[in-house]
Amino acid sequence: MGSRQITEKSLSMLRSLPRISLQNIRDNPNSKLKNKRGRGQHGGDKHGAGNKGSGQRQNFMRLGYETGNNPFYLRIPQEHYYRGHHLRREYPPLTLHNLQKIIDKDCVDTSKPIDIASLIRSGFYNFSPDLKQFGINLTDEGADIFAAKINIEVQWASEQVIAAIEKNGGVITTAYYDPHSLLLLKNPKKFFESGQAIPRRMIPPSDLIEYYTSAKSRGYLADPEEISKERVKLAQKYGYTLPNIEKDSDYTMLSERKDPRQIFYGLEPGWVVNLKDECILKPKDQELLSYYNS
Amino acid sequence: MNLCLRKQYIRPNLIGSLFRFASTSAEIVENDQVFIDDEEAQAREAEINKKRNISRLTPAHQNLVNGRKPYEEPMSLAHLTVKYNRKMYGRYGSASGVNPNICFPSKQDIQEKLEYEAIAYPFTIQQMMVSAAQKRKEENERIEKRDRDVAAKFAKLDQWKKELHDKLAKKTAEVSAAKEKKERLVEEVRRHFGFKLDPRDERFQEMLAKREKEQKKLEKLARKEAKEKMMIAKLQQKNVELTDAKK
Repeated sequence: MGSRQITEKSLSMLRSLPRISLQNIRDNPNSKLKNKRGRGQHGGDKHGAGNKGSGQRQNFMRLGYETGNNPFYLRIPQEHYYRGHHLRREYPPLTLHNLQKIIDKDCVDTSKPIDIASLIRSGFYNFSPDLKQFGINLTDEGADIFAAKINIEVQWASEQVIAAIEKNGGVITTAYYDPHSLLLLKNPKKFFESGQAIPRRMIPPSDLIEYYTSAKSRGYLADPEEISKERVKLAQKYGYTLPNIEKDSDYTMLSERKDPRQIFYGLEPGWVVNLKDECILKPKDQELLSYYNS
Repeated sequence: MNLCLRKQYIRPNLIGSLFRFASTSAEIVENDQVFIDDEEAQAREAEINKKRNISRLTPAHQNLVNGRKPYEEPMSLAHLTVKYNRKMYGRYGSASGVNPNICFPSKQDIQEKLEYEAIAYPFTIQQMMVSAAQKRKEENERIEKRDRDVAAKFAKLDQWKKELHDKLAKKTAEVSAAKEKKERLVEEVRRHFGFKLDPRDERFQEMLAKREKEQKKLEKLARKEAKEKMMIAKLQQKNVELTDAKK
């Protein structure tokens, strides 16, 4: 009973109070940082810098220095297998099991060729080109339950993965993208809104040329005839009958590949895509055309 | 507390604003019916609209919120750059009033890009393929050569093992023989004195030296005899050969 009276009373009090406005509210306590140093006898004794030592003197030591101790970064012996780790390329893995899950959830359209852009759009894969990550490494976990017919383009794949995809009548290509192209593929909308022409894809570095030109790894620069031979060889090695793609109803989809200079499916380098007007601007200048076709 | 208060006040506010919208919209319709091109009425309408706008947003922010280009005129140096104008076109399309020509790289841009690419990608794919094949071949050759070396060495391994064992056995035999000899000498010296003597004793050392001398003499004699024997044997053999030749 008493509590009801209290609520009634407080509510009536509230009703009589003025409306909240900018004139009668104040900031939350401590929400604003004072950037002034207190002064006077006890105004700001140490000014937040602590007592004694390098803290008080605010001599910020170099990174890793431990005031005369044997510093941590020197205390541990060197590990030479980490040499050059900051230059190595990283391919964040995507398992075949996860790919199957993405397909089963219908988060990726298998009636169209799948590339890194569509996998990122599915929301189940992400990577950062600025951390020296160069795209998808499709791994063989779940290879025995993989059962989708797809045309997929990844950046790295093992022999087992290639076998698992080709066994189901699918097609796999390994393709290199330079970090800038990967940024575009990661967030195409952001790039299109910047109003730039789509650049060309750059050629792979010399230490990757072997992988991307070999038919065994289904490289995008390999000879298609060699690839079809290797497909048969791999089927014999793993003991499955290779489905005939030429007689497949999805032959046009399965035989679709990007040009080595192309970044997006259906869009050529040099084009400008405007999302607001829903239009594509294509260059006509001969110099531009020759640059983008080189 | 704040939130609670807000909830309480939001309802009457909403209702009030709804009424307000209703009344104003009716007025606008009436105005449209009457006239449009009267300057005074237009000015009044603008005034009303200005008063209606209680958002306190700057015009630029109002434009942004309503999906329009924020500034009609460049307000800073950044608004004169190609990058900004491209962005305006990319975001607001042809309504931005930007000539889409600037979206494409200029001749100078192309020249710069080509220059950069000439340095960043000095080799063509074909050239890189050739050099990669060469490198792979060299690597394989190196591995094969190493394999051959190892196989050749492995073939000799048993022989080398035997040699090493023999060498070690010989060394240990020599060492043990020398030790035995020394022990025998010491024993002989002890027997000579007839009692146990400290080997550091002077008499013992003297005796030992003497014994060793004798031993050395004996050895020398033995060697001499052996040599003589050898010589005799050789001579005899020669004689036999000579007699054989004569026969």
